[in-house]
Amino acid sequence: MEIVLETNNLEKRYKDFRALNHANIHIEKGAIYGLIGKNGAGKTTLIRIICGLQEPTSGSYIIYGKRNNSTDIINARKRMGAIIETPSIYGEMTARDNIILQYKLVGMPEYDGVNELLKLVGLENTGKKKAKDFSLGMKQRLGIAIALANNPDFLILDEPINGLDPQGIIEIRELILKLNKEKRITILISSHYLDELSKIATHYGFLDSGSIIQEITSEELMKKMEHKLILKVSDEKEFVKYFEKNKISYEVVDSKTINVYGKYNLSKFINELSKKNLIADEIHEQQESLENYYMNLIGGGNND
Amino acid sequence: MIKLLRAGFTRLRKNKLFWLLTVFSIGLSLFMIYTQYSDMKKYEEVIEVEQLMLNYSMMVGIVIAIFTSLFLGVEYSDGTIRNKICIGHKRVNIYLSNLIIVTLTSLFSYILFLIIVASIGIPLFGTITIAQSKLLMLLGCIFVTVIAYSSIFTFLAMIISNKTITAIVSIMLTFALLMNAMICFSKLEAPKTIQEATIVDGETKIEEVPNPKYPSEKQKKLYRTMLDINPAGQMLQLAGRVVPNLSILPLYSLGIIVVFTGTGLVLFKKKELK
Repeated sequence: MEIVLETNNLEKRYKDFRALNHANIHIEKGAIYGLIGKNGAGKTTLIRIICGLQEPTSGSYIIYGKRNNSTDIINARKRMGAIIETPSIYGEMTARDNIILQYKLVGMPEYDGVNELLKLVGLENTGKKKAKDFSLGMKQRLGIAIALANNPDFLILDEPINGLDPQGIIEIRELILKLNKEKRITILISSHYLDELSKIATHYGFLDSGSIIQEITSEELMKKMEHKLILKVSDEKEFVKYFEKNKISYEVVDSKTINVYGKYNLSKFINELSKKNLIADEIHEQQESLENYYMNLIGGGNND
Repeated sequence: MIKLLRAGFTRLRKNKLFWLLTVFSIGLSLFMIYTQYSDMKKYEEVIEVEQLMLNYSMMVGIVIAIFTSLFLGVEYSDGTIRNKICIGHKRVNIYLSNLIIVTLTSLFSYILFLIIVASIGIPLFGTITIAQSKLLMLLGCIFVTVIAYSSIFTFLAMIISNKTITAIVSIMLTFALLMNAMICFSKLEAPKTIQEATIVDGETKIEEVPNPKYPSEKQKKLYRTMLDINPAGQMLQLAGRVVPNLSILPLYSLGIIVVFTGTGLVLFKKKELK
């Protein structure tokens, strides 16, 4: 799988404050990578560095195979589009003029795609209305249209749903999914709205205190968040044989712990096990939300 | 760079501030012509059209300060400078393209003023009375100083990330330069002697005594150098057509352009953007 972005021990210090602490992320082509972290975790700092707005104190990053200190990084950035915190739009200009300006900035010879872009983000009927008079959601969508002007392969969206109303959030979500599915754009999206991210992300990176504490695919995460029974056992082998035979989804965490996935009636389940002389020392029932999972993760709980 | 310039000029064409500047240049030239024409009719004054052409130089500094700080300040306030970097434009090119746009706009404002003054002023007040070569030299020096002003205010607008602060600093700097120029000019113009009235035996006697505020040769040299380096001082001399060191003024302006643009490029390259 081609890696679009890779960071290696990225560190950023502001005097005594360490905003990034050996952060390592890996974004595969075609992914919607959700960068999760609370406010101040280092999400925007990481994005600013990747976009070339700031230099890392140490460490490096590679975009489309080009290292940050090579002269070629400029060419790699030409394949990117980004919105960092607020969309980069000229408030005094219309949506159309903003996109035309971006076309000129990226050196597009024709402006045929302007209408298509406006339609894609649902701003085709804004006419002569100036961007400064747009709602926040419209500004975000215009920001995305601008970021799409150079037909990027990699789109970076920093907190794109901040301050949006529910309708705006849905529109942005649908747009992101459309871009990923139809245009095959790899997307890095940072947010602290975990529920929203869980609806679109294919991969997650959990950021805390400037470090990526876990990278995980959505499948792996869903499995971890699935309703599960945690069995503490003295000998896992007999249990494994039983689960295999009865096609029960399980995971051996260690020699004394087995996770059983799925929803079971606990007393019936214990009964069935005891019929086979399988006695667990402890059984815990667990159902996690993404928020709980994240809180456990940053709280130091071992969820692996 | 070409892409940045194309986008920059497109933005300029759509920019209210640019059109306001254009209207200001036209309005100012018409206003000056009207007031001078009225004076000519009323007091039968002889109006030198070349003087009208040079007059805008005294206020062009403040015009460039306001235009540059607001036009370039938007790059930070609207966050559009981030976009340029994110899509792979080099910081050096971003800085230089902004400098070029500001410089050409400032020159455009002055040239527009000149064209209107010349096309209406010459038929009204008569032809230019000084040698054309001298007028061209004076205007040439003014244009180089306009570029120096542009480099100073571009420097400020690119280094300070806040549009309001940039505007305040730029305007305050313009007035500081103007004040400094006027102080230096008045010091240099101070008379060698002054008249002092004394009363001897009930009679008032007026005698010429050395002026205690008359600068020494060393001080004169310092004031002259400060006046020559300061863009406002250059404009003051050029507008007054009293320029002892005409050939050195563009050199000082070039120095200002190199120092401010060089420093600006280094600082902007290292600047941490948000």
